[in-house]
Amino acid sequence: MRAKITMAGLARTGIYLIAMLAGGLALVACTTTTIDEFRQGDTGINTGESIVILGRRQGAAYETREEFVQCVGERMGRGNGAITVVPEQIFVDALFPWFEPRTAPMRSEDLQQLMAQPLVTDKMAEFGVRYIVWLDGQTETTNRMGSISCAVGPGGGGCFGFGSWEDASNFEARVWDVSSHTAVGTISADASGQSYVPAVFVPIPLIARVEANACNSLADQLKLFVQGS
Amino acid sequence: MTTVSGNDSDKTNIKATMEQAVRSEIKPGILSSLWHYARTFVLLPLGALTLGACGASTVTVEGSYPSPNIPPLPMTLGVYYSDALRNHVYTERTDAGKDEYLVNSGASHVELFNTVLPAMFQQVVVLNDPAMANERGVDAVFIPNIDEFQLGMPQKTRLDAYEVWVKYNMRLTAPDGGYIADWVMTAYGKTGQETFGSAEGGINDASVAAMRDLASNFSISFTNVPEIRDWLQPRLQ
Repeated sequence: MRAKITMAGLARTGIYLIAMLAGGLALVACTTTTIDEFRQGDTGINTGESIVILGRRQGAAYETREEFVQCVGERMGRGNGAITVVPEQIFVDALFPWFEPRTAPMRSEDLQQLMAQPLVTDKMAEFGVRYIVWLDGQTETTNRMGSISCAVGPGGGGCFGFGSWEDASNFEARVWDVSSHTAVGTISADASGQSYVPAVFVPIPLIARVEANACNSLADQLKLFVQGS
Repeated sequence: MTTVSGNDSDKTNIKATMEQAVRSEIKPGILSSLWHYARTFVLLPLGALTLGACGASTVTVEGSYPSPNIPPLPMTLGVYYSDALRNHVYTERTDAGKDEYLVNSGASHVELFNTVLPAMFQQVVVLNDPAMANERGVDAVFIPNIDEFQLGMPQKTRLDAYEVWVKYNMRLTAPDGGYIADWVMTAYGKTGQETFGSAEGGINDASVAAMRDLASNFSISFTNVPEIRDWLQPRLQ
């Protein structure tokens, strides 16, 4: 009889755990992403041509994170219709000092001036760069709430409480055509989501992958945009 | 069950519990929590005590600097690195006035100029003494110096970044020591706190970023300094 009760208890615990995990997975997926595209010119990319994605780092308040730039580049460089993406640091080093935070061209008109330098034109041709994509934005965390307390002792330990916060990613990608020295479009990605960490003995983080979703959506849209689809 | 707090007996308990946990393979979540608390209440204070006992940390700035892609000026430049530049050490002090970090950037500055100048001029000659300029046949002598070095530490600025500001005094003289130009340049570099593992790493990366900023600005703006522009004009015709 005692063994049966234990089995039933175990089964109940299992069901609760599965329900919590399923609920958790649903919450993990709870991120809203909005993509806006503004096209100013025709696009298209040939075999042998590449793009470079650069982060804007002129602002005092924030800098576009290298990891985000890398994420967008990696996503564009794989899958169907993969595009050759020149790694940011390799490009910036090769074209030093023209793409440093203080010296980088801010407007597409500045690109025309920059391309008048034979050394710059040669390097661009060497990399086969057709488009420069400027990424500008950041992820902000707001509305932190709740608290979690943990305790340990010789008999074991555990945590109890609840914490939550909201992440909002706002990124903008401006696309410049190196061959015509013009801006051909802008794509913006806004994503937001709420993360939760309920803790009953063990903290269970249910993280909204806001920046990752912004990266994936922006990269997919940029790929289509550059290909002219 | 013992509640975690900062006193010594609890620290001993936590250590003992952690060892026990490792031995009996307690769930990873618990281990992670234990690690978090051990780090907060035991390791960090121990680390702080160790740092306090050891005195100032020395950071020797190390980095690599790309060569600028600009057309070289058709002239031979002599460059003189003063002892003040070669041996430049900035001392960051605590609020109590104790030396906290010694930032040694002299060698890295010499490396930076030795990379940048040969790309900017047809020929560069390093002078041990500016008085030797005439006999080495140079067109001008460049003498860089650091006027001011400032460090922004996250614990003091409340920002998630290490920051470095440097103010330079640049001088260009004729081979006989006559005045050509004397100008001030500033450089700024920062490193986000998430990109490094230690304060030393953060200071190093922010210093390298500042020096890279100097290199980019210097190589582009050199010919725009009014006195240099005037001096160069007849030589380039």
